[in-house]
Amino acid sequence: MTIPIDWTVAGPATIVMAGALIALLVDAFYSRRTWLGSELPSAIALVVATIELFRADGPQYSFALSLVVLIGTLFVVVASTVMNFENAMPPGEYHFLLLSAAAGALLMVTARDLVTLIVALELLSLPSIALVGLRQGDRGAIRSAWTFFLASVVSTAITLMGISLLYGVAGSLDYAVVRAALVAPAVPDGVVSVAVVLTVVGLLFKLGAVPFHVWIPDAYGGASVMVAGFLSAVSKAAALGAVLVLLAVALPSAQDTWRPVVAVVAALTMTIGNIGALRQDDAIGLLAWSSIAQAGFLLAPAVAIGTGDGLTAPVQYLAVYALANLVAFAALAVVLRLRGSTRPDDMRGLARTDPWMGIPLVFAALTLAGFPPAVIGLVTKFVVIRPVVEADHVWLAVVMGVNIMLGLAYYLRLVVTLCDRPVGEPYVSPSPPFSVRIAKTSVLLGTVTLIVLSAWPDLLLTHLP
Amino acid sequence: VIAAIVLVPAVVGLALMIGRRLVSGRLAAGVGAGAMTVSLVLSTVVWDGRDGISGEIDESWIEPLGARLHVGVTAVSWPFLLMTAFIGLLCCLWLLADDTSPALVGLVLVISASSMGVFTALDLLLFFVFFELALIPMWFVIAWWAGPSTGAGSGSEAKRAATRFLLFTVGGSALLLVGIAIIGLDGGTLQVFDAGTASLAAAVLVSLAFAVKTPVVPLHTWLPDAHSAAPTVGSVLLAAVFLKLGTYGLILFTPVLGRFDDVAPYLAIAGAVGIVWSGFACYVQDDLKRLVAYSSIGHMGFVVLAISTQSDIGLAAAVFGSVAHGLVTGLLFFSAGSLKDRFGTASITAIGRGLYSRTPWLAVIFVIAAVASLGLPGLAGFWGELLSLRAAYEVGDVLTKPVAWTGLGLALLGIALTTAYFVRAIRLLAQGEPDPQDADRDLGRREIVVMGALVVAIVVLGLVPQLVLDLYEPTYYSVAR
Repeated sequence: MTIPIDWTVAGPATIVMAGALIALLVDAFYSRRTWLGSELPSAIALVVATIELFRADGPQYSFALSLVVLIGTLFVVVASTVMNFENAMPPGEYHFLLLSAAAGALLMVTARDLVTLIVALELLSLPSIALVGLRQGDRGAIRSAWTFFLASVVSTAITLMGISLLYGVAGSLDYAVVRAALVAPAVPDGVVSVAVVLTVVGLLFKLGAVPFHVWIPDAYGGASVMVAGFLSAVSKAAALGAVLVLLAVALPSAQDTWRPVVAVVAALTMTIGNIGALRQDDAIGLLAWSSIAQAGFLLAPAVAIGTGDGLTAPVQYLAVYALANLVAFAALAVVLRLRGSTRPDDMRGLARTDPWMGIPLVFAALTLAGFPPAVIGLVTKFVVIRPVVEADHVWLAVVMGVNIMLGLAYYLRLVVTLCDRPVGEPYVSPSPPFSVRIAKTSVLLGTVTLIVLSAWPDLLLTHLP
Repeated sequence: VIAAIVLVPAVVGLALMIGRRLVSGRLAAGVGAGAMTVSLVLSTVVWDGRDGISGEIDESWIEPLGARLHVGVTAVSWPFLLMTAFIGLLCCLWLLADDTSPALVGLVLVISASSMGVFTALDLLLFFVFFELALIPMWFVIAWWAGPSTGAGSGSEAKRAATRFLLFTVGGSALLLVGIAIIGLDGGTLQVFDAGTASLAAAVLVSLAFAVKTPVVPLHTWLPDAHSAAPTVGSVLLAAVFLKLGTYGLILFTPVLGRFDDVAPYLAIAGAVGIVWSGFACYVQDDLKRLVAYSSIGHMGFVVLAISTQSDIGLAAAVFGSVAHGLVTGLLFFSAGSLKDRFGTASITAIGRGLYSRTPWLAVIFVIAAVASLGLPGLAGFWGELLSLRAAYEVGDVLTKPVAWTGLGLALLGIALTTAYFVRAIRLLAQGEPDPQDADRDLGRREIVVMGALVVAIVVLGLVPQLVLDLYEPTYYSVAR
């Protein structure tokens, strides 16, 4: 029996997986003293996969989502150099797990079949869990990893239940067949509804939507900063992509079932995420909760999948959100390395004492808040509100508006802390200058991209699907 | 040209913020004044007649959304633009002192630039970008350069006032963003003059957004604290320019809000209630800056009442009222700021009576500002209020007679109250037995220049209202002459 493989779809994921193996092998056969030994093959694999992605020219949305995953992972890999010479972090395993998770993410956004989806989901989840707990001798990290693991297993189980019901209804696992079968199902509507909702639930968990959000602050807080960045950008991109494709390709005829669910979940997610973020002092905790709120903004336009912009808008929002969040996390990783803390007292006046890290952080926060001068953040906020209005969910759009205000309250606090006058001389630890400089370069590149996009939002909005 | 009007102060402002260690405060303020002069001159030059759009620029910007870089000056926006440039220039002149922080000058320039951006934008999304751009600089101005610590001036309280101001306005403008999305979808375009009419939801959201900014009672609670906590230039910019963003926005957006008719009665009544409310609130104020702040709510009530009639005369009243309020309240805040500089407080009782003999020029200017504010004929404040009353009297096409005339009655009551509280303030400050204090000191040169310029502008507009009114239909020449 031969299994047909569509290489235009599977190509990038395969290349990334190969890169993961090489990174592990390099580390196994050469001294594990150096970070670059594993980083180089990983970075090269990601670049080659990106080239392959452009060459293969796959389906539109999968292409954009894969691009976000690949670029995001590349950013994480480069910025992770900041962890060079940290003895607790084994470089080989780190890069192997990171790239495996990235491969899972790539498969997830290209999946057109429920089994592929589940396999990809596990390929993303298990390495992510290991990444959270990877830092040796850190009990907090292990505990976070356990929480993450349990929540992940439960949600996957729920999704599996939903999928088996769907299989029972449709008699197939292929998206196209499921879609056709749901037009005139032979079973009661109730069964279809249960199947659809259960299937979506597991993916909402990966996205960190309410009520499956509690693992996020815990996992982000316990993991190393760049792993948190990976979870917030790449993992979220994959989950969002999978939800969108599933809803748009397999389940459009069950729209009446999932639309109110999606709308309510999106509204609750952004509100609860923002309220949680308001209570945070530490910058990383703040970003963790804010990324929950952002998931709500990502999910909201899905109510309009039937009406056109429903797929484009979240993908564009996602691209900007992922970049801004990665810039923020990478800058925080550098700050953490240099100052040993990301509490407000230690960050006070960062934009004055260290403008090359402080100002990117300010700009990223403004982008996430959707506030000029970060015009691109504002424009993408507009982009996600538009389809929601178009789908006659004005109440949801108003909730989004209120949440933009709530969000600004804490982003502003961060911005003010960064711009304030510094209290005394900040402690700056002597660190290996080379690796910190590489991480700083990645932060600056990301910021420059955000600034360029703010000046010409057209660059993003016309070229991404 | 319009790009230069906005960009020159913005770039200079940014440069001053980055190079704040390199320049002295006096030099920074001088450079700022130069930049604002350039803007003012260019805004005057760009004008070429009331028909059509002057200095129009229309470049593609964000194709997929239909948003364009579309700016230009119309008959409605030109007075606002000139007023903003003028006030910005005066603020920079006011800061010509040794203890000025260059960063403050930079922020003032950025705020002025983005406000002028609002007044020139002809694309709804571009309008929104400029609308938001000024907010965070304003937060810093209020929170970091708050006045000496009496009353609502001290550090954390100023921060709280600034944050409340910011959250209120952002809450409003987030609704505006939703409203713009609805307008864009209903009308199919984001260009101000092409947009079709939009649904009721858009009208409600947009009106709410500008009602917060203007502010209309009961959404005004951010205003008194923010105004009284802010430094003098901050209060002036807030009152003279920021509140106008609300009224100008309302004027600009109403034509595309197809269902504005359903919202207008509520706005009219809220505006009229605001006039009375502010009258009562002012009467019991001891803090002069708070008094001026509350009086702004009343004046904005007149403007909102005029806008809600949707008639031609209402439009003229709204524009004239806004511009006059900008000048008059600017003058009031400058004189209140002068008093606060001298006595360290804006409390009327602490400053004491008899300013006529203690600091004659300052007293005279304060009295001129006060009587202009209460609407003495011959000064700028008069025409805006008169035209508003006329517009309400004529009812217009949108309001019903009971609503419009209720508004009219409340407004008349408000005028009486306004007179009462300003006369009280004049009596308590300017007249009476002199109560000399060590800090008595008459106006310095820079204060005379700034305030003198405003007095001249107020008198000129009061005597020759045609300067503004000629921009609109000639039908109310009879009213103006």
